[in-house]
Amino acid sequence: MDNSGKEKEAMQLMAEADKKVKSSGSFLGGMFGGNHKVEDACEMYARAANMFKMAKNWSAAGSAFCQAARLHMQMQNKLDSATSFVDAGNAYKKADPQEAINCLNAAIDIYTDMGRFTIAAKHHMTIAEIYESELVDIEKAIAHYEQAADYYKGEESNSSANKCLLKVGSYSAQLEQYPKAIEIFEQVATSTMDNPLLKYNAKEYFWKAALCHFIVDELNAKLAIEKYEGMFPAFSDSRECKLLKKLLEAHEEQNNEAFTEAVKEFDSISRLDQWQTTMLLRIKKTIQGDAGDLK
Amino acid sequence: MSSDFETYELDFGTLTADITNKIGRIPKLAGEEKTQLVLNVDKQLEEVRELLEQMDLEVREIPIQSRGMYSSRLKSYKQEMEKLEKDFKRSRIAYSDEVRNELLGDDASSSESQRAHLLDNTERLERSSRRLEAGYQIAVETEQVGQEILTNLHSDREKIQRSRDRLRETDANLGKSSRILTSMLRRIIQNRILVFILGAIILLTIILAMYFNLRGH
Repeated sequence: MDNSGKEKEAMQLMAEADKKVKSSGSFLGGMFGGNHKVEDACEMYARAANMFKMAKNWSAAGSAFCQAARLHMQMQNKLDSATSFVDAGNAYKKADPQEAINCLNAAIDIYTDMGRFTIAAKHHMTIAEIYESELVDIEKAIAHYEQAADYYKGEESNSSANKCLLKVGSYSAQLEQYPKAIEIFEQVATSTMDNPLLKYNAKEYFWKAALCHFIVDELNAKLAIEKYEGMFPAFSDSRECKLLKKLLEAHEEQNNEAFTEAVKEFDSISRLDQWQTTMLLRIKKTIQGDAGDLK
Repeated sequence: MSSDFETYELDFGTLTADITNKIGRIPKLAGEEKTQLVLNVDKQLEEVRELLEQMDLEVREIPIQSRGMYSSRLKSYKQEMEKLEKDFKRSRIAYSDEVRNELLGDDASSSESQRAHLLDNTERLERSSRRLEAGYQIAVETEQVGQEILTNLHSDREKIQRSRDRLRETDANLGKSSRILTSMLRRIIQNRILVFILGAIILLTIILAMYFNLRGH
């Protein structure tokens, strides 16, 4: 696999394709074989882009795919155009995240135009993931995840919708938008409660919702836990619920050590993940903060 | 009368104390000494029995009004004697600590081995409790993995259902398009036949026209 050779070939193809497009612009070309030429040019752009991918020149591949996509739009080939935009987005993901997002947005517009919401939702998720990982813009990521969840709900794929909603919930809680997070977690938990496949997850969602309640206000948390126990009896048996009750007690007594010990005990059996540790730390700070005020 | 009874009681008391003492000593001895002691105790038990019989006769001579106290005392003495006899029988077949020590090693090491035993047991308990904890952890992890798998399965299920519906739609659409194509083909064939027929008629008209022209000349 002579990759540099591929790259040269790819550049050649691009040049040829450019010429074809230009030539079809002239009047005679348009009369006799314009469409035919544009189609050829599209194909050549696609081949060039594939060769750039082989040579690992991601940005060049991305731009080639973009060109192909625009030509497809000219020929009113919406589907092909959208697929080319998606390919461009994938190629740009490795090189230039912002460009990738632009391409994917264009693709999403085409898909929503055609009414293919499921695949648009999937691309919203991809964009949100890029924001999550490479550009670290949590707000935009939340917005995209929400959009994806809405589309999924519209298409009755509740599982995928729940997956997106959960991410929205965790990130909103991280950004301290607690009411929204609480609402989302409760919603997801109630909808999974009844499903025999998913009911084992429900207790985890109730636990997260209760944690968010706790950060806001202790009384809220107590009421919430009672409400959840009423709705979903199995919740009261879970270790998470027991931990919550212990934490509530420790919080009432402003007892820092009891709090830490209860958390440590829980952690020794099943590790707490990053999000949960952050939330618990915030709660702990409120205990310490209260104790500080009293001093 | 009652003084006789009391002397008998005193004798009874001393004899039973002696017997109990000797019964206690029997298991520790062996061989000659043991048999001698056994004979001794036997004799003393005989004496006790005789004493009890005499006490019984005495009690019967007492007038009925005051008999009650003496008869109850007599009953308790009889029970004590029976207990002594049982103990005696047991002691003759009992093993003593002495014999055990002789078999298993001398006295000083028994307490040490007990301590070692206890430590061993505690360690074993700790090991088992640690293993239980580990097992519990694994069970909890398994549960979490199971949860994830179930969620994935659920979402896959929805995807498969959707694909199946779309496939059915595509199938129906393909059927429709093939019908349209067949009708198009039919129409093309019809058109072609029409064209040929018309062409033939025109040709015929031209030939007839030329023919009549030539004939007219």
